[in-house]
Amino acid sequence: MKLKKVLSICLASVLTLSLVACGNETGGQSSSEDTGKSDVTAEVIAERGDIPTYTQLDLSKYTDTAATIKFVHHKTDRAEDGTMDKMVAEFNKEFPNIKVEMEAITDYAEDALLRLSTGDWGDVMFIPAVDKSDLATYFMPFDSLDNLSKELNFVDSWEFDGKCYGIPYMANAQGVLYNKKVFSDAGIDKLPTTPTEFLADLKLIKDNTDAIPLYTNYAAGWTMGAWDAYIGVVSNGDNTFMNQKFVHTAEPFKDPGDDTGIYNLYRILFDAVANDLIEDDYTTTDWEGCKGMLNRGEIGTMVLGSWAYAQMQEAGDTPENVGYMPFPMTVGGKQYVAAGGDYNYCINVNASDNNKLAALIFVKWMVEKSDWCYNEGGYTVVKGGKNPDMYAAFNGCEVASDQPAKAGEETYLNDMNAESELSFNAGGNDKVQRIIEAAATGSETLDDIYADWTSKWNAAQEELGISVDQ
Amino acid sequence: MTKNVTVHRKRSFIEWLRSRDGQKVLVMIAFMVVPLLLLLVFTYIPFAETVKFSFFNMKYVGVRKFVGLKNYAKVFSRSDCFGALKLSLYYMGGSVVQLTLALYLATILSFKVKGGNLFKGFMFFPFLINGIAIGFIFKFFYTRGFVFDTVLQWCGFELENLPYWLKDRSINNISLVGTSVWRYFGQNMVLFIGAIMSVDGELYEAAMLDGANRFQQFKYIILPSIKTIFVLNVILSISGSLSAFEPPFVITDGANGTGTYFVVMHEIAHTQQKVGLASAMAVVLLLIIFTVTILQKLFFKYVFKNSDA
Repeated sequence: MKLKKVLSICLASVLTLSLVACGNETGGQSSSEDTGKSDVTAEVIAERGDIPTYTQLDLSKYTDTAATIKFVHHKTDRAEDGTMDKMVAEFNKEFPNIKVEMEAITDYAEDALLRLSTGDWGDVMFIPAVDKSDLATYFMPFDSLDNLSKELNFVDSWEFDGKCYGIPYMANAQGVLYNKKVFSDAGIDKLPTTPTEFLADLKLIKDNTDAIPLYTNYAAGWTMGAWDAYIGVVSNGDNTFMNQKFVHTAEPFKDPGDDTGIYNLYRILFDAVANDLIEDDYTTTDWEGCKGMLNRGEIGTMVLGSWAYAQMQEAGDTPENVGYMPFPMTVGGKQYVAAGGDYNYCINVNASDNNKLAALIFVKWMVEKSDWCYNEGGYTVVKGGKNPDMYAAFNGCEVASDQPAKAGEETYLNDMNAESELSFNAGGNDKVQRIIEAAATGSETLDDIYADWTSKWNAAQEELGISVDQ
Repeated sequence: MTKNVTVHRKRSFIEWLRSRDGQKVLVMIAFMVVPLLLLLVFTYIPFAETVKFSFFNMKYVGVRKFVGLKNYAKVFSRSDCFGALKLSLYYMGGSVVQLTLALYLATILSFKVKGGNLFKGFMFFPFLINGIAIGFIFKFFYTRGFVFDTVLQWCGFELENLPYWLKDRSINNISLVGTSVWRYFGQNMVLFIGAIMSVDGELYEAAMLDGANRFQQFKYIILPSIKTIFVLNVILSISGSLSAFEPPFVITDGANGTGTYFVVMHEIAHTQQKVGLASAMAVVLLLIIFTVTILQKLFFKYVFKNSDA
């Protein structure tokens, strides 16, 4: 009898444990499992054929769709201030039966990748740094590039084999944040257009005001990686450089001698540090604090994408002083502005058909009707959409987005970034931090750094067998 | 089990299970299965995977390519992987300071001291704070003109003569080690106090009658009595210094020459996505910690053998 008791206790505990485990699993997956059986929409899909593509989808015909979808995103600030909930409430006015569960992740770039490998992360997320050849393994294509690019801007960044797997929630233009009052107090009447002019203006700010001319945000790390955003069309005016030519270039960091190119881009940073035009102690910079400092005029300039503009305005009492200007680099008499998508929406390929449909409806609504992009100060994703006033200084500049990689070479840039460990536009913060350290301590010259980068770049080209154009 | 069955030939297996012996075994299994399962699932299987990963050229997602020992060769040839271990010397130096301080204070506090418990509480408190929070506290603590500089100015230092605690490469690692000493010495101290409490009070009396002073009491009574705890603390501190992560990661993000082995590993695994190489680094670190621990064991065996005799 005792044996039976022991056995039954063991069995009971095993059963309870496995139930708990199941409970968790279904909890996480509920979005894709539970509602997958909803008969109403299953019929709808059967009646109307396959899941429509993004451009085919007519939102007004699907208002009765019922599903529960999960949206994983990185906008923790917008989740906290209620913006996300407000948008979903608006969405539910039109689509009352689609329930959207949301999860905001703080360390998104890393966590999202880890979750992606598990397969059941939810239905809609923002694409983390995956290889383009893996896109089809994880995500449902929205539409063909040809169709989609007729209606939307910047949809080519996650294109593979002619299909688009991602649509940006907003687009950023890459320029420089500055404080208008600091500029006028320093006696700068014309925005700088070349690195040399920019450095001269920083010097004027230092001499004539109490503001920090250029705030590096060194300690936050990713704010340093933000400098990489200008190595494409901004620094050389060639929109095929970033994704096509860069990986084949033998000496991408060579000084072209006309105040352009990657060389002079990072030279701004190096010279600014070497001439004490940055904050006193760069190792203890404070990202949250710097927003108010720029707003109040304690900081002259910061090199960040346009997404930061709205946050700087909100951070103090003088939002009218926050300005945004094109990056001070002129190629062939023209200033280029790189605009490109921020994080891209994507849909889980493993979700049920019903959830895919609901997710597609949600994404289309978010892109076209939520005004999220405009409210964040983003460059419009919908073709012909309205742009915020902050882009006034960009009149006369050429707005361009980097062309996608050539067919068959889609993974080259990622491979090169990983192999060389320079990680351009992919979290390579330490290489930019190194420039500051070198300039401040005098441990290396800028040419030493570029020589090291070039040798790493060339070694990676050799390792990966990527042809090099001489 | 089979052995038991053959011994009690006449009993069937079920009967054996019902017997006292059988019940003992059953209870043992029932109790052990949960911790062993947890250990297996959350420690050994992941570790086996890490070892497996270290032979591949892989990212978290995407195809994996078998490369044999190439990752290990890289760990030893790259300057940033092994160079980072040099920083561990700072942390080891810190742990010497930390243990000395802890032992000193523990000895004092284990004798009668006014407000002893209050001091114990104050000094143990930092250990209770989350490591990430400590990182943020010290980020502001070391900021130019903030807490630390202000306190030093009260003591008569001029701001111009003070170094930049995190910017100056000659001292920034010492600043970081300081935070970890601050955090852990209280815990070491409490462990030492616990061990010292177990020393029989009569020994002190006898020693005093023989004319031993406090230092001699410490050297000949306390130290030999707490050697197990002492050795344990040394081993934990040294392996802790080899795998230092939180202070440099949170306070400086591993920049400006403060990237310890773990921070470099994190960077390689998560930013560069070279999971195979990072796994190889993890395995190499494990081997180093094994070696160091065994060496320490041998060393202490040698040291304390003499003191016992």
